[in-house]
Amino acid sequence: MAQPLVKKDDDRDDEADYSPFLGIEKGAVLQEARVFNDPQLDPRRCSQVITKLLYLLNQGESFTKVEATEVFFAVTKLFQSRDIGLRRMVYMMIKELSPSADEVIIVTSSLMKDMTSKTDMYRANAIRVLCRITDGTLLTQIERYLKQAIVDKNPVVASAALVSGIHLLQTNPEIVKRWSNEVQEAVQSRAALVQFHALALLHQIRQNDRLAVNKLVTSLTRGSVRSPLAQCLLIRYTSQVIRESANNTQTGDRPFYDFLEGCLRHKAEMVIFEAARAITELNGVTSRELTPAITVLQLFLSSSKPVLRFAAVRTLNKVAMTHPMAVTNCNIDMESLISDQNRSIATLAITTLLKTGNESSVDRLMKQITNFMSDIADEFKIVVVEAIRSLCLKFPLKHRSLMNFLSNILREEGGFEYKKAIVDSIVILIRDIPEAKESGLLHLCEFIEDCEFTYLSTQILHFLGIEGPKTSDPSKYIRYIYNRVHLENATVRAGAVSTLAKFGAMVDSLKPRIFVLLRRCVFDNDDEVRDRATLYLNTLGGDGAVVETGEDVKDFLFGSLDIPLVNLENSLKNYEASEEPFDINSVPREVKTQPLAEKKAPGKKPTGLGAPPPGPPSTVDAYEKLLSSIPEFANFGKLFKSSAPVELTEAETEYAVNVVKHIFDGHVVFQYNCTNTIPEQLLENVIVVVDASEAEEFAEVASKPLRSLPYDSPGQTFVAFEKPEGVPAVGKFSNMLRFIVKEVDPSTGEAEDDGVEDEYQLEDLEVVAADYMLKVGVSNFRNAWESMGADFERVDEYGLGPRDSLAEAVNAVINLLGMQPCEGTEVVPNNSRSHTCLLSGVYIGNVKVLVRLQFGLDGPKDVAMKLAVRSEDEVVSDAIHEIVASG
Amino acid sequence: MIKLCLFFKQEMELSLIGLQNAGKTSLVNVVATGGYSEDMIPTVGFNMRKVTKGNVTIKLWDLGGQPRFRSMWERYCRAVSAIVYVVDAADPDNLSISKSELHDLLSKPSLSGIPLLVLGNKIDKPGALSKPALTEEMGLKSITDREVCCFMISCKNSTNIDQVIDWLVKHSKSKS
Repeated sequence: MAQPLVKKDDDRDDEADYSPFLGIEKGAVLQEARVFNDPQLDPRRCSQVITKLLYLLNQGESFTKVEATEVFFAVTKLFQSRDIGLRRMVYMMIKELSPSADEVIIVTSSLMKDMTSKTDMYRANAIRVLCRITDGTLLTQIERYLKQAIVDKNPVVASAALVSGIHLLQTNPEIVKRWSNEVQEAVQSRAALVQFHALALLHQIRQNDRLAVNKLVTSLTRGSVRSPLAQCLLIRYTSQVIRESANNTQTGDRPFYDFLEGCLRHKAEMVIFEAARAITELNGVTSRELTPAITVLQLFLSSSKPVLRFAAVRTLNKVAMTHPMAVTNCNIDMESLISDQNRSIATLAITTLLKTGNESSVDRLMKQITNFMSDIADEFKIVVVEAIRSLCLKFPLKHRSLMNFLSNILREEGGFEYKKAIVDSIVILIRDIPEAKESGLLHLCEFIEDCEFTYLSTQILHFLGIEGPKTSDPSKYIRYIYNRVHLENATVRAGAVSTLAKFGAMVDSLKPRIFVLLRRCVFDNDDEVRDRATLYLNTLGGDGAVVETGEDVKDFLFGSLDIPLVNLENSLKNYEASEEPFDINSVPREVKTQPLAEKKAPGKKPTGLGAPPPGPPSTVDAYEKLLSSIPEFANFGKLFKSSAPVELTEAETEYAVNVVKHIFDGHVVFQYNCTNTIPEQLLENVIVVVDASEAEEFAEVASKPLRSLPYDSPGQTFVAFEKPEGVPAVGKFSNMLRFIVKEVDPSTGEAEDDGVEDEYQLEDLEVVAADYMLKVGVSNFRNAWESMGADFERVDEYGLGPRDSLAEAVNAVINLLGMQPCEGTEVVPNNSRSHTCLLSGVYIGNVKVLVRLQFGLDGPKDVAMKLAVRSEDEVVSDAIHEIVASG
Repeated sequence: MIKLCLFFKQEMELSLIGLQNAGKTSLVNVVATGGYSEDMIPTVGFNMRKVTKGNVTIKLWDLGGQPRFRSMWERYCRAVSAIVYVVDAADPDNLSISKSELHDLLSKPSLSGIPLLVLGNKIDKPGALSKPALTEEMGLKSITDREVCCFMISCKNSTNIDQVIDWLVKHSKSKS
């Protein structure tokens, strides 16, 4: 023991004291372990060796099977010593080594003897080890002792038995459940730790029985819990009960709230904090309920204990996300925490302040943050950057000082993630706050002058290419961009060339100068850079003449690539160099289907992957492209919504058909995705004949047949209807697939010349009100709800009948309405008896709609729902109710 | 005084093995306290007992006799002063198993030369084997690489227990 101290004195500049076990070796320690076999045991020496072994195990050193077995049996011989300290090490060692079940059983008898001995220390530890190594049969043998131990006078013994019970509940629940009476007695123990462990075990025993948990909480909250730890547990269980019980928010009475509030006056700080946090996390907490909790948290903010300050500020930080107003009272206290020694506390204080601050305090805050940024780690800086971004979006008028701040920190040292967060924030601010655009772009330009991250440079160049030409003086960006061509690596150079071309395409006055620059790039030593420069010179008409840039050129430069990259890569791999140039139109547009390729290159094998099941998932974007590429539908205007595919055939039938409903303002287009699953057939002139007699407001205006539908290669046919403009017309359509079928010889793949006309009945299709609803979220539902006003509010109640679960019912209604769940309310906590779900959307005609759904379990399975709708139009509010009523 | 005591004090270590229900734990009790109980539970693992006889302290490793413990006997027999093997002399059915377990154990190199004491227990019961018969059945004659001794005892009636203790004490002296 003296050795490290001596060393320390010798070594003056060594400031940290180090472990006495530093640098010990497994092999040497295993040699030392031979002392366990000495006829004359030296308990002190043995304890030291065990300590070393435990140290090695905890450092992640692994023992081979042979080594572990050898050590284990040697350790068991130490049971001969009566030294209490050594016995304790033996217990530890047995637990840590966790030998295999067939070996560890050898210590059972010794442990049982210890468990019934007179030495309390032996009893407690033996119980813990025994329960760790025991199996079901042995457990029944020792159950009697364990039950006694739970109510033992000695708190150490009782706690050991209770904690063991918590572990055993996982493996042998039926046995542990028999101990309820003893555990219940232990809950009343005067010893704090026993009460704590007993309460934890009792709750675990009952956790699946909601009524029993409720009873437990009810009886204990009347006040017999002495231990602060147990009280904290009780608060947690209480919040669970509150969450699961149907709260009647109308009257404002929440069960057990008084208990939580009472705990705020407890003498133990941990109980006060636990209660305060529980209150802040209550579902739909009101500001009246919040106030007392915030008050105690505010007191903690000026505590001398860092842990309390941290706990309080972290909780307030969370509260600020949902109830910023409630936290504003603490702002002054939090401002003083910005200079807190503990940087975690300071960061949380800053970000909380950023959330709660008002417009007038922004400048002052920014000044304080600037001083503090250099002291914190990158991950905290990212948190601050994100907070500032949302602050800026909240107070657009303050963009100047916030943008300045961002550009300042952008110039300082920092890692990639941090820089990326800053760049992303600036990009978002430029997009959302028009006044911030010019200064933001210049900041980004300055940044790429000295940016070590290729990824960020190329991203910024791309963004500059889109935004730069639209500014008042695009020419000032050219220098920054062209500098890249000289100073950077090939990837960035290529990006810069593309950006230059975009400026050239959009700003005619700059074109001649851009040409000069691009021509220089032609001599770059990188292939990609040269290729791009040549390509752009050609597309822009680089023969010196300044001509108006054509639409298709702009499209080429700015349009996004609408082909999945996987498909493009596959097609390029399959392409063999020949006279025929590579046709990009032959690349499949969607992962599974190939609508346009089919049209241009009939009969070509699909380049998609493997045998495709029908049902192309797609985005509105892709649908919009697809539809606008069909001349018949091009004048329908903007696509309002596309539904998810609806199957019109059973699975595994000859022809698989599903339909996507595309809703336009004055039209509806049905896109039938068809797959022919018969190898011996080729279908031609495929069309769906639609009978709209049950859809009076719809009139067929166009249909687009599918010329050929070979085996296993999905294709689309379309039918379009006109309907009254802006009206959510509904109706039912019956469908018949009509086609000419030709026999195909599977061995040659040749189709016969003559075909037979045939029909195939499909299932009916409905256009429902939900098809006219667009998922559009709102960021703050409460604000949106209140600002919408109650003028066109419609409230009604519905019984949804028996359901599998509350979550299933909530999902069903969300899907029925086709609206966007807000604030994560689509997630139903486990075991809830009630749930509130917030939805928002836009109804056709651009009518904003907000919905508040309150679900409750009525009896064991029956779900009841209260539906409140607010919208800008009462007809729409009624329509929403109609959707639910008819769904 | 203390020094003197230490000087005279002898220590020995024994391991007590044999099939289950042969009477090993009962023997420990009889040797230690002289008490006997009909109502015994099987030993799960081992019991460690220290017994002082005269100026000899005996450390006893009383091991469980069930099959799952037999592979572990050897670990507790290494470096002991003597191996005590208890046989139920009134249970002829298990004698052959008892014999093969004994010979298996003695074949381990780590145990070579350790004196063996075989005790035929339960001679109070009718039909218990005689000493020559037990010696024959257990194949004790074939063990030539060590000192072998055999006594017939009854834990219940404390028959021949003194003889056993004498033998043990003698072997502690010879060892030190």
